[in-house]
Amino acid sequence: MSNNSKLPPVPPAAPTGPGSPRDVPPAPGSFPIDPATLPEPIRDELLAPDPVAIDTASEELKDGLNHCPKCGATDIRQRPGTDLLICRFCRHEWHGQRVEEEFGLGEGLDKLSGTIIASGARDIAADAVNLMSFKCSGCGAEVTINTENAMTARCHWCRHVLGVNEQIANGAVPDAVLPFHIKKDDAVARIRQFVDKRRLFALKEFKEQFTPENVSGVYLPYMIVDGRASADVAGRGEIKTREYTRGSGNDKKTYYDADIYQVQRHVDFTVDDLPLESSAARGNLDTRTNTNNIINTILPFDTKNAVKWNASYLSGFNSEKRDQNVEELRPELEDQLLSVARCQVESSVSRFDRGVRWEQESLDVHGTRWVSMYLPVWLYSYHQPGKNGGMLHYIAVNGRTGETMGSIPVQQWKLLTAAITVGTFLEAIAIWIIGSTS
Amino acid sequence: MSDDGGLWLLALGPAGATGLYWMLYRYYRNTDKSHAFERETDVQAQAVTGADSDRKIDEIKGTRETRISGDNVHAYRNRVKRIRTDSS
Repeated sequence: MSNNSKLPPVPPAAPTGPGSPRDVPPAPGSFPIDPATLPEPIRDELLAPDPVAIDTASEELKDGLNHCPKCGATDIRQRPGTDLLICRFCRHEWHGQRVEEEFGLGEGLDKLSGTIIASGARDIAADAVNLMSFKCSGCGAEVTINTENAMTARCHWCRHVLGVNEQIANGAVPDAVLPFHIKKDDAVARIRQFVDKRRLFALKEFKEQFTPENVSGVYLPYMIVDGRASADVAGRGEIKTREYTRGSGNDKKTYYDADIYQVQRHVDFTVDDLPLESSAARGNLDTRTNTNNIINTILPFDTKNAVKWNASYLSGFNSEKRDQNVEELRPELEDQLLSVARCQVESSVSRFDRGVRWEQESLDVHGTRWVSMYLPVWLYSYHQPGKNGGMLHYIAVNGRTGETMGSIPVQQWKLLTAAITVGTFLEAIAIWIIGSTS
Repeated sequence: MSDDGGLWLLALGPAGATGLYWMLYRYYRNTDKSHAFERETDVQAQAVTGADSDRKIDEIKGTRETRISGDNVHAYRNRVKRIRTDSS
C-alpha cells in the first residue's frame, strides 16, 4: 500500500509562445507605455509602491548566533524570522551550520571539473517510498511520516517529535535548508500590498474571496548549481556606414548602407549558486497552463546562508519533494549557461550598431557542483475555474528577501471595456487632427 | 500634414487599445516575468575574446531596415544552432 514506486518522470516540454518566460524578463518597474499618459485610476495603481524586497547581499540576512545544543528534548522549532533553532522545552537556541563553510561550497569555482554531486542530490532510487515509519524512541509506538509533504511528525502517544534526518533515497532529504526569514504577518502584508496595486481589473470572485491569511509556508526543492564553462558563439554583425534620404515631400524615405562582418566570440566563465527547480511540475513554466513562472520569478535566494539539513526547521511548514535527478536537469542547466554566455558577450559586440544575428553557439561544461536545497516560499493560491481544469494563480513571497510576485486573474470584460474606451478616445483625437488639418 | 500621415493616424485608436490591453494584462498576470538569472546570478567571466578576428565579408547598399534581420543580440534565451563538442 505504501509502495509508491513510479516510473522516471518525463522531462517537461520547453515553454514557448508569446509572453512565456523564454523572453528575457523586463527590468523591474519598467512599463511599455509611460504611466503618466494613462487615465488616473490606472496610473494610481501602476505607480503605487511595490512590496519592498531585501537585497540578499544586505547585512540583515547575515546574522549568526552560535549556541550549542544542550538539551535532550525533541520539541524543536525554528524561531520565526531567524535561522535559529529553539528548544521549546528548555528554551535553548542554536544556529545550524552553514553548508557554505561546512562543505566548502564557495571555494574552487575556477578549478571545478567533472560532476560533483552532494549526497542529498544523488539519484532517486526507483523503489523509494514516500511513507516512512519510525519507532518512537520515547514510547515505542509506530509513527508514519509522509515525506511527500512533511518531514516531521509528532508521536500521537507521548508527543515526541520525530524528524526525517537521515538521507533516504527518495529525494525528500536535501543537503541543506534555508530557513524562513519573512514571518507570516509580513508575508500577508506584502501579498495585500501586491494585490492592492491590482484591484481595478481583477476578477470579482478573486477580490471577494481574497484572504491572504490563508498563505502557507512551503519548502520547495531546488538544485543549487555551481559551474565552470566556456562558450563560443558565431554569427553576422552589421555596422552602419551611411544614412541618407531619397525623394522629397510625401515620398521621402530613409536608406542605410552597412558593412557586414563575420563575428565570433569566446568566453570562459563560472557561475555561483544558480538555482534550478528540481521538481518536474514546478520546472514547467508554460504560462498558458500554469503560473509556476511566478515562483520562478522570486528567485534568487541568499543560498550562501543555507544551513545543514535538520528536519526541525520544517516543523510547521509543508514541503515538496524533489523528483528530478542531476542528469534530467542538465539540459536546463546548459540552456541557462548558454543564455548567461550570450549575456556576457553582448557588451563586446556593441560596435555593431545595426545588431548581431548569432547563428551558431557551442558550450563546453568543464565542471559542475550540485547541491540539493529546500528553499522557503510563502504561497497564496486562487483557483480560477475554466477550460481544462482552469488556472491556479499563485502569489509568492520569497521567504528570505520578501520579493513578491503574483498572478492576479483578470476580469476580461472590464479590461476590454477600458482598452476600447481609451482606444475610442485616441481615435477621436486622431480624427479631430485629420479634420482640422485637411 | 500629408494624406499618408493622416491615414496613419487612424491606426492610433486600435493600436492604443491593443497596447493598453496587453500592458495591463501583463501587469496583472505577470506572464512575462521569470528569474532573470542572466543578471541576478553571480557570474565571473574572463575577458571575452574573438574581437580581433572580426572580418568584413560583405556590404549592403540602400536597405530600408534599421537593424540586421534576425537580430538576437539581446534575446539571450533564443537558442540558435548548437554545435556539439565532445570534450566535456
